[in-house]
Amino acid sequence: MVLALSAATPAFAEDQLLLIVSAKSSIEHLDSPQIRKLFLGLTVTHSGNRLRPLLNEADARMKEIFLQNVVSMSDDTYDRYGLRLSLQQGRAPPTAFKNVAVLMDAVASDISAVSFAWKRDVERDSRIRVLRVLWHD
Amino acid sequence: MPGSSRCAGFLVALLAIVGARSAHAQHEHTSSEFEVFLASEAFSGSGSARRNDDDSWFNADVVIGLSHEQFRVFGEYFITAKEHDLERFQLGFEFVPETTVWLGRFHQPASAWNTEHHHGRYLQTAISRPTIEDWEDQDGIIPQHITGALLESRRPFGNDGGIQFSGGVGASPSLSIDGYEPITLVDNNPGKYGLSFTARLAYLPEYTGTTSMGLLLSHDQVFVRGPAALAALQSHHATLDIHGAYIDWSDAHWRAICTLYYVDAALDGRSRNESFIAGYAQVERQFPHRMTAFGRLENSARMQLSRYIALFDDHSGDIDVALRREVAGLRWDYARRQALSAEYAHATSFSNRADEWRLQWSAAIP
Repeated sequence: MVLALSAATPAFAEDQLLLIVSAKSSIEHLDSPQIRKLFLGLTVTHSGNRLRPLLNEADARMKEIFLQNVVSMSDDTYDRYGLRLSLQQGRAPPTAFKNVAVLMDAVASDISAVSFAWKRDVERDSRIRVLRVLWHD
Repeated sequence: MPGSSRCAGFLVALLAIVGARSAHAQHEHTSSEFEVFLASEAFSGSGSARRNDDDSWFNADVVIGLSHEQFRVFGEYFITAKEHDLERFQLGFEFVPETTVWLGRFHQPASAWNTEHHHGRYLQTAISRPTIEDWEDQDGIIPQHITGALLESRRPFGNDGGIQFSGGVGASPSLSIDGYEPITLVDNNPGKYGLSFTARLAYLPEYTGTTSMGLLLSHDQVFVRGPAALAALQSHHATLDIHGAYIDWSDAHWRAICTLYYVDAALDGRSRNESFIAGYAQVERQFPHRMTAFGRLENSARMQLSRYIALFDDHSGDIDVALRREVAGLRWDYARRQALSAEYAHATSFSNRADEWRLQWSAAIP
């Protein structure tokens, strides 16, 4: 029984959450405070271009890991933060994607887009470049 | 009413623009935002309790924003069972990251409560707002809506912190026997409007956090309109100087908001200015099952001696301006973006007391 369960979860055991940009993007590095600011709706620029955060909501576990480890907020607190920003300045929260394929197309086609995804979803996509590992098992 | 149809037309046009831009937002660097903050309230009171405009059984706060590169358009349209108004409409240009200059009608930044909660009720834990922070149409004693230019900036400070500055200059409301009347963007504006200078300087221990503390400053020249107000005040204009300090502190389960204002009112023909102090402290504690308990104490000094404050009391026997108030309540966020709240308040005015009970459902959509 234990062997059967461990055989069923090796993919999760090797999961890595990656910060990704378009292969055509000139972004080489984003540090943790910059990523946090970006996904909290604040303005972050690179070479004069305003970066565009894209939220990956294809997998609830991944979003939870991203919010806890990178943004340091629960999903509820993040939602409230977004509403607050909207009420105070009419700022839009990051565009959310429920479908990984659609998200990859959006990242690949926009040199200012920044997002995150599981390693298994991006490793064979030559249009996407990995900036760093955000979290791993 | 021509103003009402203009307001409705304006709202429809903004919604159409936001809708049209949303369709293209994924491929252009344009983003749009549309949120509606809804609330429905039941009110009961004894003694000299009064249900004011903020206690309408229904209200909706529609927030619309549009950003394209450094340009921003932003509007807040507030609808209650009795009224609807374009509360804020701002055109902005973010000339460096996190520094934006706005033109239009805005909430004056020297109000600690209103610049955080604005008109939307869902993000406000308590149902009622402190008396000193009341809007103009609720017998608010401090001008809140200014039409002019606003600069907002947030800069890093120290290792993790930040400094936030907001400064505005523009036309302040005029003052009549019905209270303050700010400039409206969608109707006529009879009378004369003075200048308002208003600012907030805040320290953020964490640049992206919600805790902040700072200083609030405002200087308002207000023209008095109508024979009744002129007779009551015996002055053609008033100059208000407001100095304040606040702290809005959040921890894992606790939040505390404390604000203190010193208000100096100069009236024509008086050798000495009037002054009074007003402040409040609200504490909130989160419990399991998404329950939040809250309590607020409001107090003031020398308000009852002020001829300026007396203008806001219509002598009808109910409470227009509370000198002291104790508030306690409970909020339950029972579903995503929906909450139920219950609140009890005991208010004391010039010569009256009142007990007030409020129940509220509030939500944010979509």
